[in-house]
Amino acid sequence: MNDRPTKGCQGCGCSDASREGGAIEGQPARRGFMVKLGAGLLGVGGLLTALPIVGYIIGPATKRFTNVWVDLGAVSVFPAGQTRFATFLNPIRQPTDGDSAKTACWVRCIEAGKFQVFAINCAHLGCPVRWFEQSKLFMCPCHGGVYYQDGSRAAGPPPRGLFEYQWKVDGGKLLIDAGRLPGLEESV
Amino acid sequence: MNCVRAGCCTVSLWCWMVGGGCERPHPEQHAAALSLDSPAAAQALFDSNCRGCHSQGAEGAALPLMNKNYWAIATDAVVVQAISHGQGRLMPAYIDSEGGPFTAQEIALFVKGMRSAWGAGAVGRGGGVSPLIVAGDPALGAQVFAESCASCHGSQGTAGSVTDQMYLRLVSDQGLWSSVIYGRCELGMPAWDDALPNRPSGLTVAEVAHVVSWISSQRVAAHDGSATP
Amino acid sequence: MKVLKASLGWIEERTGVVAFVAPLLFHHVPRNAKWWYVFGSATLMFFTIQLVTGVCLATVYAPSAAQAWESLNYIDNHVPMGWMLRALHGWSSNAMVVMMAIHMLQVFLHASYKYPRELNWITGVFLLLTTLALAFTGQVMRWDQDAYWGLGIGAAIADRIPLVGDEVRALLLGGPIIGGATLNRFFALHVFVLPGAAIALVGLHMVLIIKNGISEMPKPGAVVVPSMYRKEFEERMHKDGVPFVPDAAQRDMVFCGVCLIGLVALAAFYGPFGPGGMPDPTIIDTNPRPDYPFMWLFGAVSLLPPSSETAIMLIAPAVGVLILVALPFMSNSGERAPSKRPAMVLIALVTVMAIAALTWEGTTSSWSPVMNGWSSLPTPVKFVRGRTPLEMQGAVVFQFAQCRNCHSLDGLGGKRGPELDDVATRLSYDQLVRQVQQGGGNMPAYGKNLDSAQTAAVVAFLATLHPANEPDSRIPGAQLSVPTDNATAR
Ligand code: FES
Repeated sequence: MNDRPTKGCQGCGCSDASREGGAIEGQPARRGFMVKLGAGLLGVGGLLTALPIVGYIIGPATKRFTNVWVDLGAVSVFPAGQTRFATFLNPIRQPTDGDSAKTACWVRCIEAGKFQVFAINCAHLGCPVRWFEQSKLFMCPCHGGVYYQDGSRAAGPPPRGLFEYQWKVDGGKLLIDAGRLPGLEESV
Repeated sequence: MNCVRAGCCTVSLWCWMVGGGCERPHPEQHAAALSLDSPAAAQALFDSNCRGCHSQGAEGAALPLMNKNYWAIATDAVVVQAISHGQGRLMPAYIDSEGGPFTAQEIALFVKGMRSAWGAGAVGRGGGVSPLIVAGDPALGAQVFAESCASCHGSQGTAGSVTDQMYLRLVSDQGLWSSVIYGRCELGMPAWDDALPNRPSGLTVAEVAHVVSWISSQRVAAHDGSATP
Repeated sequence: MKVLKASLGWIEERTGVVAFVAPLLFHHVPRNAKWWYVFGSATLMFFTIQLVTGVCLATVYAPSAAQAWESLNYIDNHVPMGWMLRALHGWSSNAMVVMMAIHMLQVFLHASYKYPRELNWITGVFLLLTTLALAFTGQVMRWDQDAYWGLGIGAAIADRIPLVGDEVRALLLGGPIIGGATLNRFFALHVFVLPGAAIALVGLHMVLIIKNGISEMPKPGAVVVPSMYRKEFEERMHKDGVPFVPDAAQRDMVFCGVCLIGLVALAAFYGPFGPGGMPDPTIIDTNPRPDYPFMWLFGAVSLLPPSSETAIMLIAPAVGVLILVALPFMSNSGERAPSKRPAMVLIALVTVMAIAALTWEGTTSSWSPVMNGWSSLPTPVKFVRGRTPLEMQGAVVFQFAQCRNCHSLDGLGGKRGPELDDVATRLSYDQLVRQVQQGGGNMPAYGKNLDSAQTAAVVAFLATLHPANEPDSRIPGAQLSVPTDNATAR
């Protein structure tokens, strides 16, 4: 292989065996055409195959999900002046999500009919914040983020206050606009 | 020959492991497996939820639960009530309907567990006095206080005044009642039935009511409108 | 014997396997390649164990968000030897990371990455990245609370990427939330993509080792000159080298044997890792922590200044990888001996110490509040004995208002704020009141959350926290040193 003859092989670098095959096949020019055709067909075929595969993998990034109004229960379970824990099933769950489709949030009833609903996720890196009624603070177990009862940042690394859900009261029920995992770019 | 022997050993070890006891040697103990009303579960629950304030001996700043009198005087209903709905200004409500972590059933079991863990240590005169506050006569109470409490707790007392306005704004009348009947023996504060100055066999039930109502009557309403217990 | 030889010959004639393998086994390696060189083999051995135990675990593990956690508990408690297989897989993964780190450190210190082994180093760097990715995706496989919130942290970091953060996060999670799609994505990575990549890279690494030979122990003065190196190296090997089998391989065998026994002992004694709490995101009584290989990253993320953390979190890893890849191009000739390369030794030392320190910080995580400190850590006897009724109520307020979650008394409690055993020698009564009410220095303001009686009580209690032989700060001017305003902050 190392001292393969280049003379008479049109510089295409094929071995003796294939040269013989090529000789049977036909003219060198036609062979060049076949190579080009092969490369072209393979290229087109490859692209056609790759398209659905790539589309499948990046699908989640291109698909848009819209939030949905989720029922948190009767407003009466959220007494005025208190902050309570609430859970709901994520409206954009998938059949295989299991428990991970459950989502938690903190509902603060400022006064009758006035609410603040906070995402459970710390605005720093998303750990679950816990409410402490006695000191009226939210604390994060991961890197020590602390928030006041209105969700504003009190201490620690979080760059902003807690994420808030949009809410409305409808027929005596508290609804929030929920779905996507909250992120820095948005207010949920 | 050695090889054969080593081989036999290995093979039998394998047989033992694969065929016989290949269960996990130390299965994880799940706390949930313990029934809540067992003494061990009650202790664990107490350690993570109560011990910060309630002492188990001399430590801790709030009402001691290992007190000789506590489990003799306090009925299950009283303890359940205090845990569920809180008490005074500094004992939070632990029942879920008020934002706490436990259901009513869990609290009931927990109280049972605590009683079985510590109730046997209750040796005080106990039952003679009510665990809940009873009204008394402040005028008579002043007399009792001057004779048997003031040497430690008067405005010049050695152990600090109980008529300090800030103290009285924090502690409820029920809290005062509990302090008097249970005491903090480990820290030198006698219970109601221990020997007191001028009263070698302690207070009578009526005297407890009087002295508590007198201390309560010393409370002046707060200027800043902060809640009085 | 004759039959054996004949059948071997039959196979050899058709496969050429002996002709292929023999030169690999008996190629000459440096005589002085002693115990320093065993760590690469140990890494490979642990990788093999990962492959075998991994395939075994995959026969029972259910890669579904709804069942993964339960299937792991089933493996642990009901599958014969299941717990042991999980223990082996977990411990071997840690051991693989450790061996790889030592191997890399040795190669770095001995400058074995110089000509002609630049690509050995670079394939090694990619093997490191693949291994760390395997470790992280493996943590996700556990699908417990640590896995769930660890993914949340990954998602939050991805979300901080400018412009395409949202898309990258969705790509990572396989959807808009952490759920079934996320686990399956990471499963595909953990059992197909990454092991495949690792096998390919290991193959490449081995081909390069055979092609370029094993580097000699560095000697001061024995400089690498690319134009001469290969010829001279081959001559030296020919003259002075020893065959890999058995001269060098015997040490590898001894070391790997010891490692294996150690692995089995660790696995049998300490058992498997997790799974921790069930992956229900509404159970928030949790304290998410990463696995050991990532503890130092956890420490770094916690200690970064908030203002620059986004930039550092996103850029530092890329810069790190770039530096590692570029290393053999920055210096591929000259001295290899550590004594002649003090700067490189220093860099290695600082890196190792930084990772060790950050790992320690991550393990102790002093920045995290002790979430149940207020309700579980009692006030020590010495701080309640002889206190007035008001001071005792103050001690209760101290617990009640969760001060204990961040401040310790007698060594117990949060380490986020300063310990308060002798705070009264540092702050006067008025300064204590101000600190409680206004906060500052990373402490929230309690002014709105405590009323005057509660504040008075807690400050009365704090004012008693000083050694018996030092004065009470309530006496004006009596504290030993009057702290400035800054001293209240830490
Ligand atoms: S995730 Fe809450 S402080 Fe970092």
